[in-house]
Amino acid sequence: MGNLFGRKRRSRVTEQDKAVLQLKQQRDKLKQYQKRISLHLERERTVALQLLKDGKKEKAKLLLKKKRYQEQLLEKTDNQISNLERMVQDIEFTQIEMKVIEGLKIGNECLNKMHQVMSVEEVERIIDETQDAIEYQRQIDEMLAGSFTEEDEDAILAELDAITQEQIDLPEVPSEPLPEKIPETSPIRVKPKTELVAAS
Amino acid sequence: MMSFESPWQYSFPPFFTLQPNVDTRQKQLTAWCSLVLSYCRLNKLYTMTVTEAQESPLFNNRKLQRKLPLESILVVLEELRKKGNLEWLDKNKSSFLVLWRRLEEWSKLIYQWVSKNGLTNSVFTLYELSNGDDTENEEFHGLEESLLLRALQALQQEHKAEIITLDDGRGVKFF
Repeated sequence: MGNLFGRKRRSRVTEQDKAVLQLKQQRDKLKQYQKRISLHLERERTVALQLLKDGKKEKAKLLLKKKRYQEQLLEKTDNQISNLERMVQDIEFTQIEMKVIEGLKIGNECLNKMHQVMSVEEVERIIDETQDAIEYQRQIDEMLAGSFTEEDEDAILAELDAITQEQIDLPEVPSEPLPEKIPETSPIRVKPKTELVAAS
Repeated sequence: MMSFESPWQYSFPPFFTLQPNVDTRQKQLTAWCSLVLSYCRLNKLYTMTVTEAQESPLFNNRKLQRKLPLESILVVLEELRKKGNLEWLDKNKSSFLVLWRRLEEWSKLIYQWVSKNGLTNSVFTLYELSNGDDTENEEFHGLEESLLLRALQALQQEHKAEIITLDDGRGVKFF
């Protein structure tokens, strides 16, 4: 029992997953970098303000120059982050596409296999055989039904005709008039009385 | 910092002295425990040292000029440990980890977020989970990494996640 996780399970993490993770790690690092720079910028801004107040204009200018440069860096990192994120999305989407193709492949194989079982020749053969079997059965039926000749058949048919002719004499039409109206049967309908039951 | 809904006991001076009567004391300890947990939850505190705790508004009511003495603090912390809401981080019992949500609860929360957002089968960095923009509104945002890792390990045992270790840092894939 204690060794339940000791056995080596096949890792479900693919190479692509690792690549995605690496990209995301890079992105995280950039984000942390951005955070750092933003904080830094904030601080430098206040320092520059202070310098201006103290009348050290040149120094303030220098500081602002530095700040501008860092802002540019920040923008660049933004671009890089979006690049990384796009890459991650591409990989993820391609993985999905791969799965779709795999699914289609399996479906195709399955269909092919079924078609192999159901080849056209096979179907033809089966239908032929069925036809043959029906024919065979008919022959057996004939043999078992006794040996009526064609004349016998004719005679039988003639007799059948005669009988049906006789039968055609219809019974007489009843002479009594029909009852005027069928007394209306009162429909038995017990309408359930709707009653409000107090909620218990 | 101190803006949490403090229970009435917090402004009740005797609350800051451990009561001798067993029943009263038990009730008092329970109240202290829930106070500690809600305080940590509100301030998203995970690890503290005892000294830190001693000075924090939690055990030090400045308005009332009352402090819970160190021995009593240790009693409260020990009580929390018995309940499974606290772990000592060192042998000297000088710093501790507060689990205002138990580990299972954390893993459940994380996995709920994952499945609610259709993120199964995706890879995350641990930083992304605890500090990313996507989890900003989740309770586990800002969760301490060691705790996060343990919650994820629990999910791994349930085969709901797999932790990936790359040369520089860890990630996790959810299933």
